[in-house]
Amino acid sequence: MILLRLISWPYARKHLSRILLTTAGIMLGVGVFVAMHTANQSVLAAFRSTIDRIAGRTQLQISAGEPGFDEEVLERVQNVAEVRAAAPVIEAAVSTDRGNLLILGVDMLGDRNLRNYDLEGADESIDDPLVFLAQPDSLMVTKTFAAERNLTINSRIPLRTMEGERVFVVRGIMKPGGLASAFGGNIAIMDIYAAQKVFGRGRKFDRIDVALREGVTLAEGIAKLRAALGPGFQIEPPSSRGEEFEATSRIYELGSDITSVFALFIGMFIIYNTFATAVTQRRAEIGILRALGATRGQIGALFLGESAITGLAGTLAGLVFGALTARAMTGYIGGLLEEVYGVAQSAASIEVAPWIAGAAIVMGLATSLTAGLIPARAAAMVDPVKALQKGSYLSPGEGENRTRRKWAMACAALSILALMLNRYTPVFYAGYLLAVMAAVLLAPSLSLRVSKWLRPVWKRIRPVEGALAADSLIQSPRRSSGTVAALMLSLALVISLGGLARSSYRSISEWMRIALNPDLFVTTAESATARSFVFPASLAGGLRKIEGVAEVQPMRSVRVMVKNAPVMLVAADIESLARRARLPAVAGDAERMYRRAAAGEGVILSENYARLHGVRYGEMIEIAAPEGILRLPVVGVVRDFSDQQGSILLSREMFSRYWHDDAANVFRIYLKPGASGAAVRQRILAAYGAQRRLFVLTNSDLRSYVIRVTDQWFGLTYIQIAVAVLVAVLGIVNALTVSILDRRREIGVLRAAGGMRRQIRQTVWMEALGIGAIGLVLGLSLGAAQLYYTLEIARRDLIGIDIGYAYPFPVALALVPAILGAAFLAALAPGESAVRGSLVEALEYE
Amino acid sequence: MNNRWMAQRLAIAALVAAVAARAEDARRIVEEAQKRAQSASQRYEGTLQVIGAENRIATKRWVFERLGSFGQSKALLRFTAPPEVKGVALLIVNHPDRASDQWMWRPAIGREQRIALQDRSTRFFGTDFSFEDLEERDVNQFDYKLLPDEGGQWKIESRPRKPSQYTYSYLWIDKSNYTITRAEMYNKAGLARVIDYRDFEQVRGIWTARTTEVLDVKRKSRTILKFDKLEYDVPLKEDLFTVEALRRES
Repeated sequence: MILLRLISWPYARKHLSRILLTTAGIMLGVGVFVAMHTANQSVLAAFRSTIDRIAGRTQLQISAGEPGFDEEVLERVQNVAEVRAAAPVIEAAVSTDRGNLLILGVDMLGDRNLRNYDLEGADESIDDPLVFLAQPDSLMVTKTFAAERNLTINSRIPLRTMEGERVFVVRGIMKPGGLASAFGGNIAIMDIYAAQKVFGRGRKFDRIDVALREGVTLAEGIAKLRAALGPGFQIEPPSSRGEEFEATSRIYELGSDITSVFALFIGMFIIYNTFATAVTQRRAEIGILRALGATRGQIGALFLGESAITGLAGTLAGLVFGALTARAMTGYIGGLLEEVYGVAQSAASIEVAPWIAGAAIVMGLATSLTAGLIPARAAAMVDPVKALQKGSYLSPGEGENRTRRKWAMACAALSILALMLNRYTPVFYAGYLLAVMAAVLLAPSLSLRVSKWLRPVWKRIRPVEGALAADSLIQSPRRSSGTVAALMLSLALVISLGGLARSSYRSISEWMRIALNPDLFVTTAESATARSFVFPASLAGGLRKIEGVAEVQPMRSVRVMVKNAPVMLVAADIESLARRARLPAVAGDAERMYRRAAAGEGVILSENYARLHGVRYGEMIEIAAPEGILRLPVVGVVRDFSDQQGSILLSREMFSRYWHDDAANVFRIYLKPGASGAAVRQRILAAYGAQRRLFVLTNSDLRSYVIRVTDQWFGLTYIQIAVAVLVAVLGIVNALTVSILDRRREIGVLRAAGGMRRQIRQTVWMEALGIGAIGLVLGLSLGAAQLYYTLEIARRDLIGIDIGYAYPFPVALALVPAILGAAFLAALAPGESAVRGSLVEALEYE
Repeated sequence: MNNRWMAQRLAIAALVAAVAARAEDARRIVEEAQKRAQSASQRYEGTLQVIGAENRIATKRWVFERLGSFGQSKALLRFTAPPEVKGVALLIVNHPDRASDQWMWRPAIGREQRIALQDRSTRFFGTDFSFEDLEERDVNQFDYKLLPDEGGQWKIESRPRKPSQYTYSYLWIDKSNYTITRAEMYNKAGLARVIDYRDFEQVRGIWTARTTEVLDVKRKSRTILKFDKLEYDVPLKEDLFTVEALRRES
């Protein structure tokens, strides 16, 4: 402690900017971790609270996926003796001028057994409950929603229903709090029977909310309800509603965790670099301490302590940075919830959970201590006699390099072995880590090798400055090797993320070319994935009669739960799909697969569903439906990007039979040769646009939509790339600052010997460009391997699709000027510092 | 010892007999009240005023028709005013041995809705009546106990034998004409509703309250129902009281 105060503190104060740069890597690593997890947790907490608010006193929810089930189920539920109250619900999101509004269709008679609607005014009733029920245009909105739009009782709101645009009347305003605060007040209540009509649900409910009699446990309730309803229904507590969102957000969390680990890894090298140089710079100080009686342990502990304090400072700054960034990220994460409820979830309060803060502190400290271990050991091993002599100790011995190379080779060999056994997930991840370790251990040797290659090039460009810069890199690899390693890792991360995006876009484009080839798409919403509204099957007949239409494919997409995981069930005319949009089989024979699925003899799985849930070709799959359990074999697997959670394709006949539902979300329309898409679109709108809610998207509209969704998906990837580049630039700034400070005497001598300021500046710049160039060579090479691992992680654990390897050459090319430019900019301040310092002080430096 | 034991047994037997007699008396009184109010059918036009806690008054009108009586009756209540609610109807089919079946008809969406048993305790369209209050239950669906007279009226405790939102009720029956003048309904939380029957007059020999006032104790709101054009034993067709008729007549 005394040593820290007397020795370390004055040193830190003197090199404050350097310390700040050193902490930046840790700060970013911890920041990304804290931001992503805090944003996720905050949104999830808000979502759970929303679920609770919507659920009210509901203990169990009965559902059969998005298609819902027939009304008669309600009576069967109400007849179960253990049920105290059962209320049907329909949920639908409608778009308003200011975002989406979740409409909850409830039975206004029985729903109050489960939910409280605290209404404005002393009278707790709706303005007139009988009028509310009698008029299907009645809507109850929240005070927040009403205030934002200046609505009062009897105000009118236009909404697009299945019967075209209809005006609704506000007949109740809920006080803030409870149900009314769900989704920030963007929730409205409607009578369920009116909702059935408005949303085209026929005589179906989405779910039934149940409260049990006193003394009945959840397990008993579930057992009794299951006995009454059969196996085709999900009966679970409302809290399980969050699972779908958690499945989506888990992917983002894993992606951000990889970035965090990389940023921390890079931060580790920056700390290592700083401390390794500091040990060399402070060897005289260490010698004096040792001469005065300080033990090796005390010296080692001093440097480890400094490293820990630096790490702690970076961690604390990262916590603050993460907490601030989390707020911005919640909007992005909350948007993912639109997939679940149709309305984005905002987080009211953003708090860093104790476990996140604890994990961040442990990570930050562990990283800094690991980084400080080798320099601390080197400091402890300093010979006091030699330390008090002046001279260079910067170059690592050939022995040290040899040992590193041996370790690197061992790591590389083991990683290759792991690749051979990569079907075992832990072995695969261990192999990945070993490959990165091998690259890191080889970095100094490779850096030296590339520096030597670079010297003649640099010398040709600027004979004096280039040679000096290259020599600096060759003679002091320890000074720059940490930075080069950090840069290498950053660039490898950029390449892998860029490659992932490129491969994904390429695969998605190929999928769109085959699967999304109809000329027009008739949908119920501007967003092709919205499923709140449905069309009656009879509309297909009408569309077929429209002039210019050659073929109409009705399609129904519904989210259902299979093996407790959400999946998109796609019911389509498979014979027509096979003829018009035949996707190649990843498993199974395409011809046979489509034939059997069309005959209702099996289902076709998307590759991501099959892989993420371990379902193989030929296996039986069981899907719970209101009619009972649908058991069908998997007759084929196709590469399908239509849903992130995966999809199951089955015939419309089977769907209709098991879900008692022949409605459609989308009609895929193929035109007759020579027919004009614009003209047919107009004809469809003229025939149906006024009567019902209907949108006609062209092929390019839909493709643009898919690309927009993909861009949104990769939004986080671009943030990760930005973080990686930022850390890389910080590494260069740090290395050059260290380098300039470290070489003050050398620069002083150069200036004393007649070196011009311009020459010194250019030497620093070229050294920076050299570090950038070496980092680029190593980073772009390691990126190729890193991309392989990233694609493999994506295939195994993230998206479940083998999207194919495509090295992102455009990204690599863009990185060359970006990194060299960043290196040059990073060199400006250190370059100025090198020429502005006092010559006398510089010569006295040691 | 034997005598003492015998005396105790006799005292208990006498007490049981007295209680049974009082219960029998209470049942007989209610039976008589039910008998005197009996008619083959009934029709009236009602005016309903809901007076909220803030004295805001909402007025509605309906036509009520009933066929049969006590436990075997069928009733149809159809709103006639204001225009927003015109055509909304409630069909009640009472059963002697169980709770009634009830359906609501909403012409604007063109469909009926069954009122579930669990929802019978909810308010009847914003009035202070509950759906259960609209049922006509037979005397045999309750157990009775005669309590000391109050104000020259019989006071009878009635406890439902079938599931009900109420745990017990007190009825006040006029000794002179066997009309129920007041009912207090209690649930687990205590007094829930008070119904006062007023303005009695004889219609076709049946003493009938022209005004019924119900007070929701918790909400402190009142509903006053006034009967106009009251008729008994009017010819009504059986097939008028079906779900199909609800759809047909809308």
